[in-house]
Order: sequence, then C-alpha cells, then structure tokens
Amino acid sequence: MQETRHVFRESLKILESQVLGGLEMVMLQLDRALEAISYQDVELAGMVVADDDRIDGRYLEVHQGVLSLIARQAPVAGDLRIVAALLHVIRCVERMGDQCVNIAKLVPLSGYESPKDKDMLDAIERMGQLARSQVSQAKEAFAERNVELAQDLVRQDAEINRLNRDIFKRAVEVGDNLDMREWAMFMILVARCIERVGDNTVDIAEQIVFVVTGLFREFADTSTPPEPVKPA
Amino acid sequence: MSEISQAAIPPISGRRRRTDNTMRGLLLVATLVALVPLVLIIYYLLYKGLSSWSSSFFTTDPNGEFFGNPGGVRSAILGTLEIVALATLISVPIGIGVALYLTEYGKQSWFANLVRYFIDVMTGVPSIVFGLFIYIVLVLGKVGGTGFAGWKGSVALALLMLPIVTRSSEVVLLLVPGSLREAALALGAPRWRVVTRIVLPTARTGLVTGSLLAIARGMGETAPLLFTTAGAFAVTANLNQQMNALPLQIYNDILSPRAVVVSRAWGAALTLVALVLILNLVARAVSRRSSMA
Amino acid sequence: MIPPETTSKESNHMSTAGGPPEQAEAAPDVSALGVREGTGHAINVKDLRAFYGSQEAVKGVEIEFPPNEVTAIIGPSGCGKSTMVRCINRMHEEIPGARATGSVTLDKLDVYASDVDVTSVRRLIGMVFQKPNPFPTMSIFDNVAAGLRLTGTKSDNLRERVHKSLQAVGLWAEVKDRLGQPGIGLSGGQQQRLCIARTIAVEPEVILMDEPCSALDPVATLKVEELIDELKERYTIVIVTHNMQQAARVANTTVFMLDGLLIEHAPTSEIFTNPKDERTERYVTGKFG
Repeated sequence: MQETRHVFRESLKILESQVLGGLEMVMLQLDRALEAISYQDVELAGMVVADDDRIDGRYLEVHQGVLSLIARQAPVAGDLRIVAALLHVIRCVERMGDQCVNIAKLVPLSGYESPKDKDMLDAIERMGQLARSQVSQAKEAFAERNVELAQDLVRQDAEINRLNRDIFKRAVEVGDNLDMREWAMFMILVARCIERVGDNTVDIAEQIVFVVTGLFREFADTSTPPEPVKPA
Repeated sequence: MSEISQAAIPPISGRRRRTDNTMRGLLLVATLVALVPLVLIIYYLLYKGLSSWSSSFFTTDPNGEFFGNPGGVRSAILGTLEIVALATLISVPIGIGVALYLTEYGKQSWFANLVRYFIDVMTGVPSIVFGLFIYIVLVLGKVGGTGFAGWKGSVALALLMLPIVTRSSEVVLLLVPGSLREAALALGAPRWRVVTRIVLPTARTGLVTGSLLAIARGMGETAPLLFTTAGAFAVTANLNQQMNALPLQIYNDILSPRAVVVSRAWGAALTLVALVLILNLVARAVSRRSSMA
Repeated sequence: MIPPETTSKESNHMSTAGGPPEQAEAAPDVSALGVREGTGHAINVKDLRAFYGSQEAVKGVEIEFPPNEVTAIIGPSGCGKSTMVRCINRMHEEIPGARATGSVTLDKLDVYASDVDVTSVRRLIGMVFQKPNPFPTMSIFDNVAAGLRLTGTKSDNLRERVHKSLQAVGLWAEVKDRLGQPGIGLSGGQQQRLCIARTIAVEPEVILMDEPCSALDPVATLKVEELIDELKERYTIVIVTHNMQQAARVANTTVFMLDGLLIEHAPTSEIFTNPKDERTERYVTGKFG
C-alpha cells in the first residue's frame, strides 16, 4: 500500500534531519571550545564564536519549518508530538550552542602563561568528554526513538554534576597564587557551561520519552535513577 | 511542449463535417415528416369547422330532424363536460391513491411490482375494450335501473384514465426528495401525516398536471361512450340516462348525407380539440406558476 | 405572519434604516429557550447490531453518550457510523430490508421496546441531516412550526415557540422581517440553521447530527459549530463527521469506528494527541490509504 501524505512525511523527515544536524553542529562546537580551553587557542575560540551564527540560522530554519508544517498539514497524534519535540530540541540545540560560545569567550581571558591546576584541568576535560558523549547519545536516541538510551542520559548527567561540584571544591582550595585563583574562577565558569550542556541533553531525553509514550515526565531528580518508563 | 497555437491542433476533417451535416439533415427531415400531418389536421379542422361555429351552434341542441335547421351541439358539449367530470371524480382520487400506495408503502415489494405491471398493461388496452366491458357488466345487466346511461360512460372513461393518472402521479411522487420524508419522519411525524402534509403538497403541481392530461385524453374517447352512453339529443342533467357527448355527436353526424350536418360534425371536432387545447394550456400555466414560486 | 414585537434586544436593533437583512447577525442564544428543569439525559447503546438485509453494517457496538456533551463519531466511509446513529432514533428501520438488534436506552426508556411508539421516540431524539432539507412548500415560520404541527402537538403559543427557536440558533435577526417567505430562499448555512431550529422547536432531549456541515461553506460551518457549542448546554449531542478537524474543534469526546466496530472512545484531546489504538493513530494521522 503506497504511503499516503508523502509530502507531509518528506517534510517531517527533512525537519528531523535538520534538527539532528544541529546536534552534530553542537558536538563540533563543543569539541573545538574545549580544545581552545585546554590549549588556550584564541584563534580557535574566535572560530567557535563566529560559527554560532550557523547554529542560530539552523534554529530559525527549523522554527519556520515547524510553523509552516503545522499550518499546512495539521499534524495530530504521534506526528504532533514529534513536531512539538522538534521545536523543543532545536531550542536546546541553540542554547547548547550559546554555552559553547560562552566557553570559547572565556579563553583569551585565561591568559597565555597563567598557571593551571592539573587536577582541575583533568576534571574539565573529563566533563567535556562526558558532555560530548551525551550530545552524541541524545542524537542517536532521538533518531532511533530509543527510550532506554534516553534514560541513560540522566545517569551520565549525574556524573557531570558530581564533577562540577568537585571542580568547585578544588577552586576554593587552589591556593594563594593570584593568577592561579583567577584562572580557577574562570574554570568554574567553564564547568558551569558544560554542566548546562548536560542539562539540555536531559531535556532532549524527556522529549524522546514524550514522543514515544505520549507522557511527559521530568527527569528532575538526578540523584536517584528514575523508574523505567514503559512505552505505550 | 512548445507554445500551443492553431498549428498544433489538427483541422476539422471534411468527412466529419459532412457526417455532422447529414445527421442534422436526416433528423430535420424526420421532424418535418412528423409535423406535416399535424399541421394538415389543424388546417382541415379550421377550414371545415370554423364555418359552422355560430352563436346558435353553442346554444341549441341537435334536434335529429331530417329537414330544416339541424340545431347546434349544446347538449353534446354539456354532456361531455358532465360525463368527464364524473369520470375525473372517480379516476383521479383512486389513481393518486394507487400511486401513493406504490411509492410510500409498497415500494419494491413483489405485490407493488405486480400492481405496476398491471397498470402498465392497462394503459395499452384499447379503449373499445373498456366500453365493451362496461356494456356487458353494467348496461346489459341494467344496473341502476337503466340500460345506457351517462354515468356508465363515466365509469368506462374512468377505467381508461385511471392508469394514466397512476403512472404520471407515481413519477411525480418519486420526484419528491426522500430527504423531505426523512426530515418529517425524524421530527416524529406518523407516516400518514408525512404523506398528507409533506409529500402531497410538494407534488401538488405535478399531480394536477398529470390529472389534467388524463382528463384531456378522456374527453376525446369515442368508443367507450358508444356502448355505454349511446347518445341523445336533449340536454339532461340526469346522469342515469342516455346522454349526448361530443365524440358521439361527431360519430353520428359525419356520415350524414346532409352537408350542413357534416359541417356541424367538423365544428364539433374543432370544439373538442379546442377544449383539449385549453386544458393543456391550463396544465402548462399551473406548472409554470409553481416553478416560479 | 410576523409575531408581535417582544421586549428582547432585537426590537432595539431596528434603528438601522435600509441595510439588507443578510447583514444583521446575531449570535446563537440558547438561553432564549428558557430555564431547563432537571439534568441532561444520557443515551446508552449496548450490543447494537444493524443489518441491511443480510449484510451486517454495525457489528456489536457498546457506548454511552454522556448528558450535555458533544460526542463525535469519526471513521472512514462505510465504517457504520451513520448507520449506528440512525439506530438511535430508529430511522434505520425506515429503509426497506433494514433491521437492528441490541438495546438503546434514553435514560430509562428502552427505545426498541415493543410497546414504545416510534414517533414519540423521534420527538425526544431529534436529527439534523447532511443536506439541509427545509420543506419547500412552507415558509420560514411554517418550517420551524412544522415539527409541532406534524406531531399534532397542540400549542397555544406557537408564535412564541417559533420565535425562541429562531433566536436560539441565531437566525432571528436575519429572518424576522421575512418569516412568510419560502424556507428554501435562504442560503445553505441559514437553511441548515433553520433545520436545527425546526428540530429544537419540538423540544427534544438529544440531537443527532449526521455530517451537518458537509454541504456548507467554511463560514457557515463555523457558525453551525458555534451553535453546537451553545446547544450542548441544553441537549446531549451526537455528531457524525468525516472531517476530523471538526471533531477536534467541536467534541468533548470522540469515538473512532472501523468496519462496524468501535475501536476507541476517549476525550477528544487524547484521541488527537495520544491515541491508544494503533488503528486510531493510523486513521487520524492520515496513514490510511
């Protein structure tokens, strides 16, 4: 039986691939921002800031596409949930892009010769890797509508939050060196940005569960793992 | 495809044009062939009949004398009107009743289809058969105390008119949209009220037209009256005895050796045609008025 | 034939000199029908089967239509939704060869009981059809009064009842100056509202609507939908529609039928955001071929 409404289905597929592409862009930006922080590469940081325009452009594209699809095709039921989720997710993409920009903007301020605390730097790197894997997993989970994968993101986010708290503690105890203290404060800010990226991936996870089950549950409490949600 | 202009479409073929014209010509010829006798009839009627029309033609009765003024056809006109009026009173209500049964109650049941079949057969029965039937059943048996009588002619004509009324009424009743019946039923109306308040008023004009046409037909029939009414000279309002009627008058007069009597026959024929024409015009006017409402 | 001036707000509207009557618009005002005593009435359908000859069109449907709510029935052509609804007011049996089994109750009244007069049932359960069908030989006034006259209801205040019905459907302002004119002279949307006025003039408890807006243009459709929203304050309404957007706009509860069976029955927003049955999902999103 030939599928009906193929114009609609095509449009929806294109929108979804645009959103998933946005997540790819975020992953790239995150990689570059973290590298810029590790090696204090001002040029790389500048590229990250400039390229955020692409993410913003993608956001506008998807936003307009969703409005047009709703107006012209009147999606309902499962289709409607996907459309609502796409709008939500592209918003998260845009925010994550902004966080990457925030990270990149902290680079020149760190200075060339500033002393660094190795433990803190390791923790930051570790946080960055986790966040990057979260974004990648979110993309995979959304594309496959995989609820288990989505719920796993919450577990990873707990780890990021823990690292964030550790970094804060280290910064407090970092010592009397003024330059060191200054660098440490910037690192706190960087850690904060990475933590927000993690939160956004949890938001995306909530949307995935919503699309599949039709129920919206906030994964608010990350200290205890949530009960597994049965798909509809 | 490049821009379309006259060059892109094939020209009209000569052969097709010829076929079109030949067809047109043939159909025109058929129409003319049909019209010619009609026109001739009207011409003859007017030519032969108009001359006998006079005031005495309409105000005096035929007097049956062999010499002198033969009289007019007053009793024949009045007789036709009386006999046909009674026939209408009999056939129209019953005819519409049968049609109502067929459309509202019987519908497609085997019995209704049987009735329809018989009605159809009746429309084909020659009118003389109706006359003979009434002759045997009512006249020979001297039912009602007399032999030939006007009312027996009415019965014969009613039998003739009945299937015509039924047929045309059924067609008209079927044209009443089912949605109207549905709407009335859904309001909680009993079926007989649906028929009297909705179906009949909506079909009213068509029913009237159909009945008028049946009456026009009945007016002109001679054979049934020959065996049932037989004819008389004087005007009589008593339907229980022999009466005159226009077809009878024509039948009697046309073979007379006297030219003035033959002329009177033509005048009577013209009168009959005129009556039928008037009825048709009335039917037309009635139907046109309602479609403009 | 114009009823005497009432003290309603319409009499003050007459100030505009000359504007054509079509421009006078009034919102439906169901409160014009007066205070309703008691609560609404529910229809309960149990194990309903309907046949056309030997062909089974409705294959055992069980459903309750809650009082003072609009329930929409959707489904593809031939799924039996119209047939099922026509069984409720026993119009189905008017078709030669058609019959139904099962039970339909209006509160405690068994509609199919052998000693129940079918015309009384139809007075309590009114019906509005797909194509507006005002009686062509009757005027606007007579059309609205037709229900009362056809059922032999004695009514001393006929004019008042006609007035109220027309007010309730929002037609009064548009037609009050031409009540004597033929009912078929109105536009399609007005005709349908006239038919609704005719239906409510006999004061039913339930109104069944079989695709009431299919033959109307979008503006007229919206007016009728607004009217339905007002009417549910007073009646229980069941509407069959093949227009899903209409069901989505108008109904509290939606029922999906397929091949003579009831597939899903849920609040409307649920059916259109998260249906439980996959067949419902496929129909509603248009994956049905």
